Amino acid sequence: MAGHALIEAHLAVLARHLPPDTVDELADGLTETYRRHRDDGVDPDAAARAAIAEFGHPEVILASFTRQAPGRRAALALLGTGPLFAACWGPSLILGRAWTWPISPTATAVFALLLLAVVASLITAATSHHDYRRTRLAAAGGAGLVLLDAAALAAVALAAPVWVWPMALAVPASLARIGLTLRSLPTIVTR
Amino acid sequence: MKAEAQALKGHLDVLLLATLEDGPRHGYAIKEALREGSGGRFDLPTGTVYPALHRLERARLITGSWSTVDGRRRRSYRLTAKGSRQLAADRGSWREFAAAVTALLERRPWPATP
Repeated sequence: MAGHALIEAHLAVLARHLPPDTVDELADGLTETYRRHRDDGVDPDAAARAAIAEFGHPEVILASFTRQAPGRRAALALLGTGPLFAACWGPSLILGRAWTWPISPTATAVFALLLLAVVASLITAATSHHDYRRTRLAAAGGAGLVLLDAAALAAVALAAPVWVWPMALAVPASLARIGLTLRSLPTIVTR
Repeated sequence: MKAEAQALKGHLDVLLLATLEDGPRHGYAIKEALREGSGGRFDLPTGTVYPALHRLERARLITGSWSTVDGRRRRSYRLTAKGSRQLAADRGSWREFAAAVTALLERRPWPATP
């Protein structure tokens, strides 16, 4: 219990955006600030206003959390390394004559649509500055990327008639990205 | 945020680690330690200290644990071994940097150029 309606309202704004554990922690800090002002003899309303001023406007706090959100950082990392993967997979598909592989047009279209959705969700998460919840889209983008990598690996294993040398870079790169992305997903979802 | 706090940005992490050197503290106590330890010059908005603490925790420089105080959940932080090593390294770097700046800023005759 924070102890004052103004403080409850302040916390309610933060609770709409931040994880419950973080809000509990902020509530403790804000309540401590309020109580210190009360202990100094300040009346409840003035103490609540002073505590909120000292604590910081919700936008300032949310911006601080959003800048460092695991989802935003993961999205930036995945987008930043994207060109490297394109540089590995592009030559693999061209030299391997991927258009001749026995893959249905529907599967190819689904792959392309999923790729677009992944890129869109990662860009949305990476460009979030004040909306912490938006950074969680990185989890969906990351999960989609795992599916895309797995599909690409499956296509190489099952449909490619011959191996070409760029695959020696592309396959380990995708395996590594699958592992790293799966490891970071729980943090993105829970923090 | 006071003007002095702007200068704090590049040094916030090491100062937060330093506030935990004497033992565990919760977020508000850390913010107060920063304010009191700097003679009131570093008076950050309390709410912005928490994201920095979370970042340090993700870097495994500090570790947090929950307790209950007056019916509220409270998260307190303490330095990890990695955090202690980082603090010692950053402190050494800062002393070297500060000594160099002080040496340059102290009033003394500049060497004559040929």
